[in-house]
Amino acid sequence: MIDQLFGFLSYYVPEIISIVLMTTLLIAEAAVKDVQAPRIKIHVFTQLVLGIVLINLFMNLDEKPLHIFHNAVTIDPFSTLVKIIMTIGTMGAIFLSHFSKDIYPSLKSEFSIMAVGVLIGGMLLASANNMLTLYLGIETLSILSYVLSSLKRDDATSTEAGMKYALYGGLSAGVALFGISHLYGVFGSIQFVEMITGLQALEGLNLAIVMISFLMFFVGIGYKISVFPFHMWTPDVYQGSPIPVTSFFAIVPKMAGLAALVRVSFVFLSEGSPLTISWIGLVLVIAAMTMTVGNVTAIGQTSVKRLLAFSSIGHVGMMILGVVVMNEAGVQAILFYGLVYLFMTLIAFYITSFLSDMYGTDSYDVFRGLIYKHPVMAIIMAAVLFSLAGMPPFSGFIAKFNIFSVIIQKKYYGIAFVAAINSVIGLYYYMKLAKTMIFSDPQGSEKVIGFTTLNQAVIIILFIPVLFLGIFWDSAMALAGNASIFIR
Amino acid sequence: MNGILNWILWLPIIGMLGVILTPKDQTKTIRLVTLATTTITLLLSVVLYLNFDITTAEMQFVVKVPWIEQFHINYFLGIDGITMLMTFLNALLFFICTLSSWTVEKNVKAYFALLLMLQSTVFGVFFSLDFFLFYVYWEVMLLPMFFLIGIWGGENREYAAIKFFLYTFFGSIFMLVGIIALYYASGKGVDSFNILALQGGKFTELTVNLFGTTFSFEHLFFWFMFLGFAIKVPVFPFHTWLPHAHVQAPTAVSVILAGVLLKMGTYGFLRIAFPIFPQAAVDSADIIAVLGLISVIYGAFCAMAQDDVKKLVAYSSVSHMGFVMLGLAAMTTQGMNGAVLQMFNHGTSTAMMFLLIGILYERSHHRWIVKPDGSKGYGGLSTKLPKYTTVFIIGMFASLGLPGLSGFISEALIFLGIYQRFTTITVIAVIGLLIGAAYLLWMFKRMFFGEVNPETEDYDDMNAREVFYMIPLCVAVIVFGIYPSPLLDVMKVSVGQLVDLLAKF
Repeated sequence: MIDQLFGFLSYYVPEIISIVLMTTLLIAEAAVKDVQAPRIKIHVFTQLVLGIVLINLFMNLDEKPLHIFHNAVTIDPFSTLVKIIMTIGTMGAIFLSHFSKDIYPSLKSEFSIMAVGVLIGGMLLASANNMLTLYLGIETLSILSYVLSSLKRDDATSTEAGMKYALYGGLSAGVALFGISHLYGVFGSIQFVEMITGLQALEGLNLAIVMISFLMFFVGIGYKISVFPFHMWTPDVYQGSPIPVTSFFAIVPKMAGLAALVRVSFVFLSEGSPLTISWIGLVLVIAAMTMTVGNVTAIGQTSVKRLLAFSSIGHVGMMILGVVVMNEAGVQAILFYGLVYLFMTLIAFYITSFLSDMYGTDSYDVFRGLIYKHPVMAIIMAAVLFSLAGMPPFSGFIAKFNIFSVIIQKKYYGIAFVAAINSVIGLYYYMKLAKTMIFSDPQGSEKVIGFTTLNQAVIIILFIPVLFLGIFWDSAMALAGNASIFIR
Repeated sequence: MNGILNWILWLPIIGMLGVILTPKDQTKTIRLVTLATTTITLLLSVVLYLNFDITTAEMQFVVKVPWIEQFHINYFLGIDGITMLMTFLNALLFFICTLSSWTVEKNVKAYFALLLMLQSTVFGVFFSLDFFLFYVYWEVMLLPMFFLIGIWGGENREYAAIKFFLYTFFGSIFMLVGIIALYYASGKGVDSFNILALQGGKFTELTVNLFGTTFSFEHLFFWFMFLGFAIKVPVFPFHTWLPHAHVQAPTAVSVILAGVLLKMGTYGFLRIAFPIFPQAAVDSADIIAVLGLISVIYGAFCAMAQDDVKKLVAYSSVSHMGFVMLGLAAMTTQGMNGAVLQMFNHGTSTAMMFLLIGILYERSHHRWIVKPDGSKGYGGLSTKLPKYTTVFIIGMFASLGLPGLSGFISEALIFLGIYQRFTTITVIAVIGLLIGAAYLLWMFKRMFFGEVNPETEDYDDMNAREVFYMIPLCVAVIVFGIYPSPLLDVMKVSVGQLVDLLAKF
């Protein structure tokens, strides 16, 4: 028994290290004497430890998939890859938090502590193999997120963001839990493995209950990844939160929620499940609405943070199309999209953050004539915007191509049509920002303080995959393709 | 000889890197690097022409390297007779444009870097035989164009750049859906992004369900592709981006836009839409012919109404590309040959017109034939600028199709071809020629004859550089007007193969 437990723990090293890191940071922060001083040592330490987590995760990629802790948790290449994406996202957000003026100097360590906490919740969610673990993951993720969004505590929009997030989040988590309890009532189990077998035998009233309670459960996840109609909180929370937090929200909770959605869909909607047909119709409509609402609303925005918030809604709409097709290729497309989206989002938020720190606002105007002041940064930002819009030769195009490819393979031409129109709308608002940056005359001639050599170097390093994966995407696709899901 | 396409395709990129590595203030070096690159590219395309085998319709100088194994995507290049002409045209126009851009002073480094990037992507579109590669180049081409129009354009440049970009992107995204649908329809395992393998009417039996309605696969995706290419040509009613883009673009970019980029649209019909969906193409010939006819007549009337000389030439492009569409819709040997020839000839003659307008603009800083306040913009230029007037006459008459100059041959061939199929349309289209002559001659009268406008007193005639880069185009329109065989021989076999294919449906 004890041997077995320790055997399992060896697969759980990334999570354990993260938990230890979080605890250490809590203690370390208490030992800081000058609360206003920059937390260089703490941040370097955090990055190093997260780097170790990352290495560990990469080593786990080739491991055979298995269930541990009495089927509560699955370690499979799929969850490992999602964890890699989330860990890089966390490292990126913590790096940004070190330089951002949006987070009070005295709260810099708090940000790291809670970001690592959210990461732990996300990891739990990504490899959840029963309903309870899944719910635990959602809650760990959410509660810390509420605090993160109101981190700028004397700012009205930030506290409003925290409040909104908590209210919406609490409600939807409650609904999801209600759904889960009914699912338990029908199946007599919370294990995914047992639910799959139970599903085949469903009929009559039980089937109706499962359908409704599954829908309720979907509310919880839909809210986390902010799909239509549960997206209302996103723009306000994104705008109100400090920029490092926003960039963090755009990546980690989203990827975790998507991973959970994919896994649950594979449980309930696998071959021969009675739910499949009605479910696919529903997700198609939700995806189409999510994309359209996200992209159309993004057009009118004047704040870049809000623009990125709405555009992230649009991207999630694209990503969940990979769920609809219910095959390995779909998962592969989602993972590739997630990987690319990670780098694009980080760069976009980095540059927005440094500019907004300089000018104290995040309107389009701060981007005016950036090309004349920082040509390299402006070119990278423009490239990232075109990549987000899905222009070759950048990796955003390949991500879009993969999604189109899986849905057209299944002959969903209608949704392909909607997605195509949405790409054009997306291009329009990204182009408007690119235009401001490159065609307009600059606002003053002073350099942007945030673009130090280190920061520029980091942005350039993050840009390499955006460009590289657009041309040589063979190996990354293979990586995403090997990340299969393991349920039974 | 096998790697020569690689060289032509990547040389401009190497030149671009050279430009980027040159310090910003050494504008002379930057210009010389660009000139050297475009000159070598032009020489290479001549070498290509000399080694080209005109007796076969097979793809030549083929390069094929696997790129993405999972989707069977290849880096697959090759040319046939049609692309041979386009390659030469592209190399020639970029060489000339480098010389004509010598006077660009704003941000020289970025300008020439983008120009070279544009050249490479245009070559890429013409060389690609892999659908994915084709699409990538088709889209990437938009980026340098967007910046070239948006940064170096006229006062309303941002609007024009965005409109151009969005319009083309709108068309091409549907093309992407079509490309992927073709990939899955063609059955996995084969090389199914391979344009050549998809050709020949393999999809006539399939159906598609879109929004609950059943369509024929072939027809639906023919129209998806049609949208992408028709916007590029541009065919009425998708032409509205063109006047804006042309008027706002700097001279060299206008030349490239009218000279080569519009040809990419008709090239798409020749290489992709017609051979892959022959049944749908034959069925839709009437519609294409009518749209072509409307472009001819409507473009010509619009041109007549313009006071801005550049806009006038832009609309004349719509009209002339309408002739190409008519030739394509004819689907006969003469019509198709005429269409391809018109693609080349319009490339040279319209390039002359835009270059000449650019030369005049550098002196007058406006382009009004009649200024908005009603006064004359020019007038009596012929007495002051003899060299300029001579070249202008050659360009203008080539444009309006005077016998003995290049435009005549291609238009005559198109009419020969289309008369066999659409008699009424031919008769109406001839009126288009008449209007064409009318607006060009009227423009010429207002600008070059009559009293000398005092504002134009101090204009200098063309300098040696300007004369030098106009010579190749003058030679081209005159020589190919009298003796078009070098062009016709090159494309004859390739065009014949397409006509034979379409005749089967």
